[in-house]
Amino acid sequence: MLACLVSATGAQAAKVSAMVFGADAKPLPNAVVVAVPEDSRLPPMGKTVEVVDQVDKEFVPYVKPVRAGSYVQFPNKDNIRHHVYSFSPAKSFELPLYKGTPSQPVLFDKPGIVKLGCNIHDWMIGYLYVAETPYFGKTAADGRVDLDDLPPGRYQVRVWHPRMEGSEDATLTRVELEEAAPVIVEWTLKLNPEYRPQRTPLPGEPGYR
Amino acid sequence: MTRLWTRLTLKHLSTCCLYCALTLSTSHARSEWGFDATGGFAYDDNLSNGFEADDRKADTAAVVDLSAGLYEPLGASTALGLSLLARSDAYFRYTGLSNVGLGARAQLRAKFGLGPKAPWLAIVAQGVYHSYQYKYQDGWQYEAGATLGMQLNERWSLRGTIRYDAYVADQTQPPLIPTMVGSPYDVYGWNFGAQTTFLATAADRLSLSYTWRTGTVTSVTQPDEEILEYSDRAAPDPVFGSGGIAYRINANTQTISLAWSHTLGRRTAINLVYAYRRSQAESDLGQYYANLISVTFTYSY
Repeated sequence: MLACLVSATGAQAAKVSAMVFGADAKPLPNAVVVAVPEDSRLPPMGKTVEVVDQVDKEFVPYVKPVRAGSYVQFPNKDNIRHHVYSFSPAKSFELPLYKGTPSQPVLFDKPGIVKLGCNIHDWMIGYLYVAETPYFGKTAADGRVDLDDLPPGRYQVRVWHPRMEGSEDATLTRVELEEAAPVIVEWTLKLNPEYRPQRTPLPGEPGYR
Repeated sequence: MTRLWTRLTLKHLSTCCLYCALTLSTSHARSEWGFDATGGFAYDDNLSNGFEADDRKADTAAVVDLSAGLYEPLGASTALGLSLLARSDAYFRYTGLSNVGLGARAQLRAKFGLGPKAPWLAIVAQGVYHSYQYKYQDGWQYEAGATLGMQLNERWSLRGTIRYDAYVADQTQPPLIPTMVGSPYDVYGWNFGAQTTFLATAADRLSLSYTWRTGTVTSVTQPDEEILEYSDRAAPDPVFGSGGIAYRINANTQTISLAWSHTLGRRTAINLVYAYRRSQAESDLGQYYANLISVTFTYSY
């Protein structure tokens, strides 16, 4: 992993502008960039309800960052039933077979990675990144994400991706944010292949149906 | 009597599957519909199951395999799948083997836990009626069995299968000699199989499987009085040339196959399968073998 810091000048609010690339130098979407203030002062949060849909037998979005303490709804937009679960240490839960929107959202109060699955459709995989800070974002298709409106100060900035080689902590870098000096951070991540059960059955096999 | 029982019971089972599929399709809007279509080419270098080199007949067929049905979760860990099946094999040279098949399959699948690594058990029964160009081969093909599977990790999975298969031809031909029955295409057997699948890359699956089958097989040979000593059923079979004789014997068959499946998209894959099959006759007829290769394209909805 390679982190590169560039101090830029300009009359803008304090912010971190992050770019994430794969080892092939192509922009990497679905990477979560997190900024944690070193003075540990975080703004209070009210009740927040985020959404992870199920569309065409896939989780949408594939990666969803939320702040610890958030609730997440898992509406099923398909006209069939799904059975959503997670075994992850950050949150173990199960929403047995359902259609539509479950009556109660699920609380994610512990920071960490929550890997989502569907017990009917084993290829369905999604991720919740539960951040300890409100300052986070997810890279778009161009590999870029901006963390805006950060209070000036010293921050620890890091990146996470579901397929990244190595640990998230190894990407940690320290930055000092000033109102007039947005900071650009770049990472290059080596990625592991993603092994998922395939939707198509092998010849001669009926598959899960 | 046993044959009649098998025919009636399995035919009723197939009809029941078809009825359930149609009923559930109209009354359960929440059921999950699915459709799998596979098409391509299959080559077999010993279609006739010939023991001698002169009896070995090779050909290639254009194959289409369709399956459409619904999947109904019965609870958190059990689901019922009901499918209608259609299959077609069009041979380029031995056109008498070309056939169209229509049938139904029922699968009850139970998963013992949550997640892809949870072991699962599938009980499958299916019946397919085949209509051949050579009409004496027309009949029902039945299969019933159970598969136990589990995912060892992200890349490896294992499954074991026990399956009974039977083919019951519609018509009985006049026997070649009075002491024999003229329905050599009626075959049955027990199959015991194991399979492991490995995700070589995120898009490439390799699968290695082994099956041991014990039961009856049909072979075709040129007129040979000696061969009739080993068989209880024989009849004329002109598919591979005039004067051919189809006869049934008891044999143990071993099949090893290696499959490669490359995922092209979320719903599509291209498959290459090679299988080596060797049958050992229970009498001292010896053994025959076959090499089978298929290239197919699969679409799943």
